[in-house]
Amino acid sequence: MSSSENRRRRPRRRTGEGGRRLHSAGSAIVVSLAGLAIALLLNAPGLHKSATIQPEGWKRDLALGATGPLERVSSALLLDQPRRALKAALGRSDDDVIDTAVALPEETPEEPADVETPATPPKHAKFSPGRKLRLWIAGDSLVVVPGESLLRTVAGNRAIAPVGRIDGRIASGLERPDVFNWFTHVREQMRSKKPRAVVLMFGGNDDHGFMTGLPEGREVGSFGSPSWRAEYRRRVAAIMETIERANAFLVWIGLPISHDAEQTLRYDVINTIVQSEAAKRPGIASYLDTYFFFAGEDGGFAEYVEDDTGKLVKMRADDGVHFERPAGDLIAEKVVERLEERYDLTSWRKR
Amino acid sequence: MLFPTATFAIFFMIVLALSWLLQPRGERWRPFIIFASFVFYAGWDWRFCFLLAFSIVWNQVFATAIHGRRDTRGRKRLLVAAVAGNLGLLGYFKYYDFFVTSTNNLFALVGIDVPLEARSIVLPVGISFFTFMGIAYVVDVFRGDFEPVGLGKFAAYLSFFPHLVAGPIVRPNELIPQFHTPRDPRYVDTSRAFFLIGTGLFMKVVIANYLAANIVDEVFGAPGQHSSLEILVGIYAYAVQIYADFFGYTNMAIGIALLLGFTFPQNFDAPYSATSITDFWRRWHMTLSRWLRDYLYIPLGGNRGSKLFTYRNLMLTMLIGGLWHGAGWTFVAWGAIHGAALVAERWWRGRPGFVERRWTRGRRAWHRFVTFQVVCFAWIFFRSDSFADAWDLILRLFTAWGEPSPLVSGGVVAAIAVGIGSQYMPRRLPLAIMARFSRLPVPAQALVLSVALLVTHAMGPEGVAPFIYFQF
Repeated sequence: MSSSENRRRRPRRRTGEGGRRLHSAGSAIVVSLAGLAIALLLNAPGLHKSATIQPEGWKRDLALGATGPLERVSSALLLDQPRRALKAALGRSDDDVIDTAVALPEETPEEPADVETPATPPKHAKFSPGRKLRLWIAGDSLVVVPGESLLRTVAGNRAIAPVGRIDGRIASGLERPDVFNWFTHVREQMRSKKPRAVVLMFGGNDDHGFMTGLPEGREVGSFGSPSWRAEYRRRVAAIMETIERANAFLVWIGLPISHDAEQTLRYDVINTIVQSEAAKRPGIASYLDTYFFFAGEDGGFAEYVEDDTGKLVKMRADDGVHFERPAGDLIAEKVVERLEERYDLTSWRKR
Repeated sequence: MLFPTATFAIFFMIVLALSWLLQPRGERWRPFIIFASFVFYAGWDWRFCFLLAFSIVWNQVFATAIHGRRDTRGRKRLLVAAVAGNLGLLGYFKYYDFFVTSTNNLFALVGIDVPLEARSIVLPVGISFFTFMGIAYVVDVFRGDFEPVGLGKFAAYLSFFPHLVAGPIVRPNELIPQFHTPRDPRYVDTSRAFFLIGTGLFMKVVIANYLAANIVDEVFGAPGQHSSLEILVGIYAYAVQIYADFFGYTNMAIGIALLLGFTFPQNFDAPYSATSITDFWRRWHMTLSRWLRDYLYIPLGGNRGSKLFTYRNLMLTMLIGGLWHGAGWTFVAWGAIHGAALVAERWWRGRPGFVERRWTRGRRAWHRFVTFQVVCFAWIFFRSDSFADAWDLILRLFTAWGEPSPLVSGGVVAAIAVGIGSQYMPRRLPLAIMARFSRLPVPAQALVLSVALLVTHAMGPEGVAPFIYFQF
């Protein structure tokens, strides 16, 4: 074959705007594949964490099966170091850490027999603009909308000072400390922020049987089984005790009715545990039942509910679980009532 | 299936390779890309695939029927039926509950109980986008601007996954002709594609998500808890967030299409450097602006009448444009603010004896500043859940100066600066970067790409927040 024929067969080089070279589709595929492959190795610690914190199921198993070896290869080749350095520079070194340590008392609290004998409620402490009630709001994503409503509601009360922002963590709960370790976080926040009132909402992501952070040798059965209930009760009690030890008052917002009847039944299991644990701690923990706030006329789930003025308002988000603003406002109103029952937040106005 | 996820990366690598393998044979490529697009769409909810399929069949049937008719009256009737079907579908899924609650509450004011019940209808992702593209197809066929194509090509056009869920709104004559001939596998604008995907990812994952989590959601969620400075910065931050979010998505969509060998129209052109609201709409969501102009404003009469008639058409177009964004009165208010500003500008320029002054640097800067403030003011209503929230925010903007502002951090200011600064970047800079990248050998290109992915993934928050425009 002559050299002139060779020249004829070679595709003409074309350029785009600004003189950039155009490449072949094969080159596009190779660059994409190689770029993604290297990026997988460079981001392996983050990908492995993302895989770990997924909900239980085949997708998680598959992702763990892929990212586990990937992380080991990345670590062996030191390819995880740039990411670690970058995270450290951003002050977010903990992002890729999978922390399942649940420092809880080993003992599981007893199931309440029937009705608890209420102990004497603690003193009705007074708060004023000079001595503000420090309020901390935290929980899973469900707490965000009521939390915002609560912040708006207390904005007019100079005796209440929210500490920090709403600590709402998406997809978190008490079952999966690997997703977010609330046990450590609550302890740290009680120590650093020193709130005297805490509003929590958990459980929206806990309606399944998969738990991490179990004590060695302990196994739990499926959701709602006696062993699951015992372990979940232990966790709820631990959170309440942490708050009690910090001398704060807790309002725990119960899970609402959901668009899915089966999910609502599962939420009932969680609500029952929380309610009974709160009942053991009068004046320290108060359970706010939200179930019937958002039920329709037939007692079932309703996205739109009439408000006090008879106006039809959208209470629930399109996913059938989360709240819309009017629902948040309603919950906030009830939370403030609980805070006012427990603390004197208004007498300073009369002076 | 969101673009910045591992699932999409795997999906796309398979589609990219198979698409180029099948490209030379259009009769095989089209079923493949339609199938791939339906798989992509099913990633949200497989049931909505029937809706997409219905939209394809509906528009194709009417376009073919319109094309086959000669009498204007019959053609018009078919067009009205086709558009009504599209709007009926959109109206039911997007506006039914809004209509019911608005009607009930209106009648409740005078003590009348209307027996209409909200149905909690789930909004299918992307319905506003593919409905508008379907309407564009039948209207273009009606006008004689475009000849209907076969069902396969039309299905590929409407369902093509890069634009399916959040645009850009590609017109039939921009995409369908590209299906007529196989894409040339020797000449792919890879450097532009990777640049668009990389910048899109960065804007979405790093800038938009950071601002949302660190100031915007907090400020708009509970304005009463924040200082005036936090409110002001929060509003600017939202302006940057929504731009970074939508611009990021569009860039990724255009880049992904480009890797497959297809060209989409530009959707943004530095909108926050606009010198007027009229100019803003030439730069913001450009494919929607064009759609509203060609399929709403002009059919309403455009500027072919008195001044008042033109003002009416402008207002109507923007009010409907506002409602397109969301089923809520706050979106209508957003559209009304833009409509009023467009009318005011037109009136100002239409005054007798008006002479356009020469642009000086100072005058341009002043116009840009004022335009940005008007745009940000309108964003308050766009982002707020209710008018009460919007007014709270506006009041608080003027009444809480001097209070502590912990949310106004260096990171927030830097992210806003990146978002605004990117609008003033010299146009030759990205061209130079792309040209330099295109001259790198393949391994070096892969390395650059992987480092960009490392930085974006490491700097972004955990998880992927949905794109704002998916709800529209």
